[in-house]
Amino acid sequence: MRFILRTKDMRISFDISLISVPLILLGMMAATATTNAQVDDALQLFGSMQTIFFHQESRIDTDIPALGFSSSGTETRNTFALQQMDIFLRKEIDADFTAFVDLEFQLNYSSDQRWGSVSIQEAWLNYHLSDAINLKMGLLFPAFNHLNEIKNRLALQPYLFRPLVYERLLSRKFFAEDFIPEHAFFQVHGALPTGNWFVDYAAYAGNAEASYISRSAPDGSIITDLNPNFEFLSGVDPSNIKLKLFGGRLGVRTRDEQFKVGLSLTHDYNNLRDSTRYPGHVLSGPARRLLGSDAPRIRVGQDLTGRLGDFWLEFEAIKVLYNLDEADRLSIEIEQSFFSGVLGYDIIPEVTTYATLQYGDYTFGLDSDYFLYGFGGAWRVNDAISAKAQFVVYDEQFNDSPSEGSTVISQHVCITFVFLGFSILL
Amino acid sequence: MTISTRIFSFVALLLGLACNSLQAQTVVITNPSVPTESFSAKELLDVYTLNKAHWENGSRITVFDLKSGKVKETFYDHLGISEQELQRIWLRKQFTGKARPPRSMSNEDDVVRMVESTPGGIGYVSERAVAGKKNVRIVARIK
Repeated sequence: MRFILRTKDMRISFDISLISVPLILLGMMAATATTNAQVDDALQLFGSMQTIFFHQESRIDTDIPALGFSSSGTETRNTFALQQMDIFLRKEIDADFTAFVDLEFQLNYSSDQRWGSVSIQEAWLNYHLSDAINLKMGLLFPAFNHLNEIKNRLALQPYLFRPLVYERLLSRKFFAEDFIPEHAFFQVHGALPTGNWFVDYAAYAGNAEASYISRSAPDGSIITDLNPNFEFLSGVDPSNIKLKLFGGRLGVRTRDEQFKVGLSLTHDYNNLRDSTRYPGHVLSGPARRLLGSDAPRIRVGQDLTGRLGDFWLEFEAIKVLYNLDEADRLSIEIEQSFFSGVLGYDIIPEVTTYATLQYGDYTFGLDSDYFLYGFGGAWRVNDAISAKAQFVVYDEQFNDSPSEGSTVISQHVCITFVFLGFSILL
Repeated sequence: MTISTRIFSFVALLLGLACNSLQAQTVVITNPSVPTESFSAKELLDVYTLNKAHWENGSRITVFDLKSGKVKETFYDHLGISEQELQRIWLRKQFTGKARPPRSMSNEDDVVRMVESTPGGIGYVSERAVAGKKNVRIVARIK
């Protein structure tokens, strides 16, 4: 986009890339927020950022028993990074309507250097009919287990490295959507008081998983896994209503929010037409026969969080079930599961420590198990700053054939991470 | 000590005790536009955990808090929740867009002034701070 600015003595022209537009809008909104600071319905502008240093030691051992072959390799790396920064905008439009925007910048974002990414994670309008009935419309994080709604709110979490399926640093390894609904576009939700409890409910609908969304190729053409003859837009979901996301959560929590438990359920489809998402090391030989289809998927989640004195607990379980005739016929197990538990203890109100244990089984035709265990702590320096440290061991065991009929490969990957960082509320 | 001096001292002592009692009592105040006229501890907890965002007449609730002090401690004890817990809840509500956290005031006079001038406003102060104030309503007393 080219803008031309004319003054009496000169003519200045400048380019504004698409990515700059939201930043300029943000600046204008911030100016408005300052102007309206004394007004109750003023725009609220706040944010958070997390800066980290991490040290990583990796070891991989590979064995092919049939060939008597074995090898191993190690690597050490460490880096500083601005892990994430979020700018939030919230406006109480009137007594019933509230608008909310979350702009997320990841990993030292620079469009010039092609580092990191910027994205709109949430942008929604909430209509409050009563405390029991709210309607949320727009791009939103749907209610699923405990963490999904705050998965990118790093400042609210004591850890630097989130449970595996929520951790964006691993987004190339774990497809988050295989386990959790990333976004929805309409949600009805509310809380019903009963005695010392609230009953929470949420039901939502959204697009099919992100891999169905049409994208722009470098040459300007539109890439889609569905019928390309009718595709003329990128960034939209061209799938039929059948493939869309539908889900909800039902839970209870105490009125003082010290204990919360819930059950979540979603139905959508896994896009097995997109073979680029399933390279050989992710989808085993026999299971590659399933490519080219839409796999009906049900995610079942259970969450439990609580506090008892100085102890606190976060637990999540996710089971991903498929109903794919072809997989049944070929006897290929494609279910997935994930469990995460964190047990914490507040040494003093400003300092908390915790230990975490996570387990996942990434079947999808593969015999692959992974464990994560570790511990960490966070020190609330003041109302805005928290210093965090975390030690994590990731352990993955894989036994399978990369292609049908080939020999079995056994692979063991062990990565040790040390994270140090600060969370800052803006 | 004469009888009149003793009577004077006794009256002064009683007045002192009465003033002290007036200062010690914490009260919850609302703007007169708020339709609810009395609150239980459970209802106050819902308001201060931001679980209740609107009054019965549909107007938004604006919550005021004190930065520190004995009155604040008494009020939080009444709610049965710690300051750290409330701050954790407020942060989660704020960062998920569900509510704005309470506005934190440095002194009780500011709380009274803000509740007086904010439709739907609620706050807590010592009873002394609202003596003679006509534009706020006392909706709960905490000893």
